[in-house]
Amino acid sequence: MPDAIVAEGLTRVFNGTVRAVDGISFSVKEGEIYGFLGPNGAGKTTTVSMLTAVLGMTSGHATVDGTDVARHPHELKQRIGLVFQESTADQDLTGRENLEVAAALFGVPLRETAPRINYLLDRLALADASDRLAKTYSGGMRRRLELAVGIIHSPRVLFLDEPTLGLDPQGRAGFWKIIGDLRQESGMTVFLTTHYLDEADTMCDRIAIIDHGKIAATGTPSELKDRVGGDVVTVKPLGPPGSLLDALKALPGVTSVVPQDGSFRVKCPNGETLIPKVVGAATGLGISLAGVSLRRPSLDEVFLDFTGREFREDEGPTATDRAVFMSRFQDARRGRR
Amino acid sequence: MNVRRWSALTKRELLKISRNPAAIVTSLMLPILYLVLFGQGFNFTSSLNYLPPPERTSALDALLLGAPNYFSYFAAGMVGFVGVTATLFVGANVIFDKLFGTLKRTAASPATATDIFGARLVAGSIQPVALAFLVLGLAILLGHLGLSGLTVTASVSVVAAAEVVLAILLLSLMFASLFLALGFTIEQPQTYFALVNAINLPVLLTSAALYPWGAMPTWLQEVASYNPVTLAVEVLRINFFGDAFYPYAAWVYLAGLIAWFAGMFTVATLLTRRALAPKA
Repeated sequence: MPDAIVAEGLTRVFNGTVRAVDGISFSVKEGEIYGFLGPNGAGKTTTVSMLTAVLGMTSGHATVDGTDVARHPHELKQRIGLVFQESTADQDLTGRENLEVAAALFGVPLRETAPRINYLLDRLALADASDRLAKTYSGGMRRRLELAVGIIHSPRVLFLDEPTLGLDPQGRAGFWKIIGDLRQESGMTVFLTTHYLDEADTMCDRIAIIDHGKIAATGTPSELKDRVGGDVVTVKPLGPPGSLLDALKALPGVTSVVPQDGSFRVKCPNGETLIPKVVGAATGLGISLAGVSLRRPSLDEVFLDFTGREFREDEGPTATDRAVFMSRFQDARRGRR
Repeated sequence: MNVRRWSALTKRELLKISRNPAAIVTSLMLPILYLVLFGQGFNFTSSLNYLPPPERTSALDALLLGAPNYFSYFAAGMVGFVGVTATLFVGANVIFDKLFGTLKRTAASPATATDIFGARLVAGSIQPVALAFLVLGLAILLGHLGLSGLTVTASVSVVAAAEVVLAILLLSLMFASLFLALGFTIEQPQTYFALVNAINLPVLLTSAALYPWGAMPTWLQEVASYNPVTLAVEVLRINFFGDAFYPYAAWVYLAGLIAWFAGMFTVATLLTRRALAPKA
């Protein structure tokens, strides 16, 4: 499958010193959903801005759908769709008027404009509100209007920059259901940035983990999770750990043990079977445990593994948000309310 | 320039203006207050009634360059006044569109800087042009309501009417270009309004829009001769009151206005192109 996006040594330096994006290279295949995952300030939006010719590159080279980004920005803009993280629709225009303006700007043929707008309004559940001013829309409706504006011209590559920021779990699940369906219908390539780990895990064919302007790892979600090395059992001794570290390392199946904040992160292929052995080893050493927890391989673990630090709490949704999101996303996929 | 993109963007600007009735009413208030209060209060012509008629006419001609009274002279000047004040907001709208992200969305589309600038220029000039004709209409109407009003003493031919329309149009387009250039260049509304105030008042106060020409010191007359507001209002005054007291024909003043517009338009399009280009 040919590449829809190719970036080589993409770099952006602000004020001569701040390297927001630092020589990153990657490629995205046609029809893929490719996620850029990282905390705020990691360089995600800067990368999207460079790939969409909103921002110039300090150095490097990129092509999107075969178009050289730096040399042919005008041609590029006709081929791509872009959904910004903030609402950019004209608030004093109705939803339909916003789409009419977008259709004219992107050169949607006149004959196809009205049917395309009606299709999108219907598809994105905005038909009933199409003649209301955009400023009366709810957050979710505004996001859907942004998406409609971004895909009015059926772009071959769609860039989504933190598209669900500020949406509640239900709104996010609904948004991703639409993206998944549209990708299925049109085969367009989707490049998305997010700091929601669950979104990246569920939606993306491949992910790049970006931190401090550099790509720390790339791969499919399952490849990345496999690289972490299976389940993670976190063991927290009640008192001094004594020789618990050595005992844990000696347990069969354990691939690594890393001390962290008074606990031990024990990696193994099957955490459930390891837990009794961990408790047994601690008991054998006379060490009481404050707690033992099991975490299946997740992108949280991947991020921690590749960047050496946890995905900051304030960067993502809470555990409850994640649980609600996943359940509603699965409901939405099954077509249930 | 792509006509479809340009017309869609122009329609968008006009829709936004039409959906802001408060701004429309506010823009009407200023010229109405000037005509109904300032123009009436400053209409000093009757204070010269003590002079014998020939001397009175000479004095008025020296002061007002052929206009029959100050209000008529002032009413033509008010057209120049609204040409400046009613275009101020076109630049402010650009800044607010930057802050709300709307401009970012447009700049990320295939629309060129020329499409974006052209649409705002046309949409932003419609209001001052409409206001200018409203000022003239109201000034004439006031004369029929027992107040001082605009008295046109020359016979206005089709060519004269076309010159008046062209002068109003050029003045509005010139100042809309200037304020759009500022809007695309400046990021903060506070900076914009501070700069606009620093431009607005000196431009009006160094023009012949409000002062009786004969009462102005020579040095101010010199400065005012090159002021685009003066050039526009003199086209109106020549066509309304005759050209006997003007050194040049109306087309010369129009040529000056065209030069001003061409210069301002060129600078503004360059600045807009630079502002909308991918940030280097």
